[in-house]
Amino acid sequence: MSRLGLRQVESGFTLAEMLIAMAIASSILGLIFTSAVALQKSFTAVDNYFGAHMQQIRIVDYLARDVRRGLSVTSSVDKQTVTIKIPKYIIQAGDSDATVSNIGTPRSPSLAIANGDYNINYGTPTSTVTTVVYSVNASSILRTEDGELTTIASSTDNLLPETVDIELSNTEYTTTAITFKPISVADRSGTVVYSTAYLRNRRRSF
Amino acid sequence: MKMYPANNEKGNVLICVMGVILVLSIIGATVLRNSTTRLNVSSNQVRAWKEALSAAEAGGNMAFAELRKQFSANSSVRASQWSGWTNSGTTYVSPESTFGSSNLKSRTVVETCYFDVSGNFHLGANPDPNANSWYRVRSRGVSVLPGLKRTGMDDALINEGRTHFAAFGSTAMKDITARGNGDSLLRKIDFNYDHFVATYGRSWDDPLTTRNDPVAVGGTPQISRRIEQIITPLTPFFDAAIKSAQTFYGLGSAAQIDSYDSRQGPYAFVANSPSDPRYSNSRHGNVEIGSSTATVKGKIYGDVATNGGTIVNSSQITGTVDNNVPFTLSDYKMPDSTSWQYEPAPSTGNGLAYQLPASFSGNKSLTPRYAGSVDAPVYYVVSSFYGALIVNPTAAGTDTYVAIHVTGDISGGSAGITVNPSVHVKIYFDRNVDVKNNNLINQNPTGANPSAANLQFYGISPPRDANGNPMWTQTINLNSATPSTLAMTFYAPSADIILNGNPDFIGAMVCKTFYANGNISWHYDRALNSEGQLLDFRIASYIEDTR
Repeated sequence: MSRLGLRQVESGFTLAEMLIAMAIASSILGLIFTSAVALQKSFTAVDNYFGAHMQQIRIVDYLARDVRRGLSVTSSVDKQTVTIKIPKYIIQAGDSDATVSNIGTPRSPSLAIANGDYNINYGTPTSTVTTVVYSVNASSILRTEDGELTTIASSTDNLLPETVDIELSNTEYTTTAITFKPISVADRSGTVVYSTAYLRNRRRSF
Repeated sequence: MKMYPANNEKGNVLICVMGVILVLSIIGATVLRNSTTRLNVSSNQVRAWKEALSAAEAGGNMAFAELRKQFSANSSVRASQWSGWTNSGTTYVSPESTFGSSNLKSRTVVETCYFDVSGNFHLGANPDPNANSWYRVRSRGVSVLPGLKRTGMDDALINEGRTHFAAFGSTAMKDITARGNGDSLLRKIDFNYDHFVATYGRSWDDPLTTRNDPVAVGGTPQISRRIEQIITPLTPFFDAAIKSAQTFYGLGSAAQIDSYDSRQGPYAFVANSPSDPRYSNSRHGNVEIGSSTATVKGKIYGDVATNGGTIVNSSQITGTVDNNVPFTLSDYKMPDSTSWQYEPAPSTGNGLAYQLPASFSGNKSLTPRYAGSVDAPVYYVVSSFYGALIVNPTAAGTDTYVAIHVTGDISGGSAGITVNPSVHVKIYFDRNVDVKNNNLINQNPTGANPSAANLQFYGISPPRDANGNPMWTQTINLNSATPSTLAMTFYAPSADIILNGNPDFIGAMVCKTFYANGNISWHYDRALNSEGQLLDFRIASYIEDTR
């Protein structure tokens, strides 16, 4: 009897036990794997969402900065191209008044009187304004400053900027809405960031 | 048969379960931590970037407030102007102010400046003794980024292989290509150095070098932003030959209003000579009318503006006609004279040469014993002004500044004033003016090319009753007399002006109502743009230095 008992103690798992154990283990591993993948996807999605959100904010911050120091703003009919005239404050290489020593330095202002008001100008005798254009190219938002192109935002998801400018008697303001539509979540209507920016300078006509 | 229970297998299940929970928890926590940390860092940088601009603009506002202290009715406020600021010559540097819950910092530099006749910028006080100075205000705002030196989540989104900041000491432009992308390009976060000071030096922030900090700003990350504003003085005679708050009639049908700039030489008619270098200054004989009651006659080389009027003879106007320009004029009060050099009246008679009787009707030649200054003229008070006054410089060729407060009328057949070379006179009158044109003689700098700003009349607005109505009517009658060339300014926002005769008039008038029917040749002097009593300041330009 004792030998029989010893044999029972030392015996391996039965096939049924093994199958059950493997099934349970597989389920646990599957659960771990699935959870890890889901969490990783969640992390990626959240990261992308936040990243896109920060890009929305960056676009409106760029635009607001330029509008604030601008002299005039013109938005296109489709609301996706914005042109801003900014005082030509910094001497750039290639400017007619640029020298080896003054590139990168600010210009002194000059004074003119036009339309019954003081106009403070920065710039060369032939050009007193820098033209900044915001535009959309595929999934990128572009900023072009006197021909110098910078991609200020880019996303595989949809970033849809819309800007309108409202002219008042002496000033002007823009309202911008940047809509983010994540393509990975088809049923989302999108998150929108709004911004309003006024000219600090008196509006001029160009 | 003895059976052994499999007790030694219980622990495996528990360990497995605990392990699974642990792994899942670690993954979950990592996801949350990474996401929230990156978002928080980025959000914090966005906040700091915006607040840095607020700090810079707060510095500009503080400078503006300092400038405007001189208009305060409170003498202690006036005396506190620039208190705590560092001053050298005509430049003022504020102490570094820390404020707000985020410990924002701002520092502001105010530089006195002016523009010459060509519109070119110069640092320093305006050399024209009658003109007011401008100010260039540069302000830096700093917002500290708390926490570790972390980049935000945006820089990696666009990877074009660029470096994030210009090399130390480099002034290479277009620096926008050297400063990276994403938020680094826009927000220019300083983790170890103030990138602006490191690249461009610290003279922008502090031309007086009152700071002693090196380029390194310490181990605290920060964002700094800088703005530059140009502040213009608001003066009574800006870009308008005649400014009438209410009705306007004039001038004669054969009259003309044009302009010139006395800084370019004597007046000459060049309004029809585009090739003349003075032509650009010849068509600013502007007329501004604050009501719809406007009868505009004669030739006007300039613009005309009304408030709802109908200009019927617009073919005589070379500039623009705008019938939708409302404006009002505030009452004018006697400026603060406590810092002026008061010269008491003699007890009897005409007194000494430097004294002015409290009331005089004969001839009086006045030679002040002090030269005075623009801000502190030699100051006289008279109750009635019925005689002929000649004002001489304290010494030949010495600019002499005189202010006379007439509490009564300036009137009579011989009443008038002669301003000799080097003399700058301002007359403040409470009541009325009724004089002949040829008794108002301005010979500074010369009789042939007088500067209107050397003889300025200011009409103190009558006090108002309980209903807000002026307690008396103030009138200015300039009566016909020939020959006469008038070179002067009138700023009398509560007065009715009647101008008779056909004089040549150099200068500008600001009044409540205006009537003139003579064929006057009126020449607005564009030097008056920044001359006359300083009324206030205005920000004329705003630019952010985004380097």
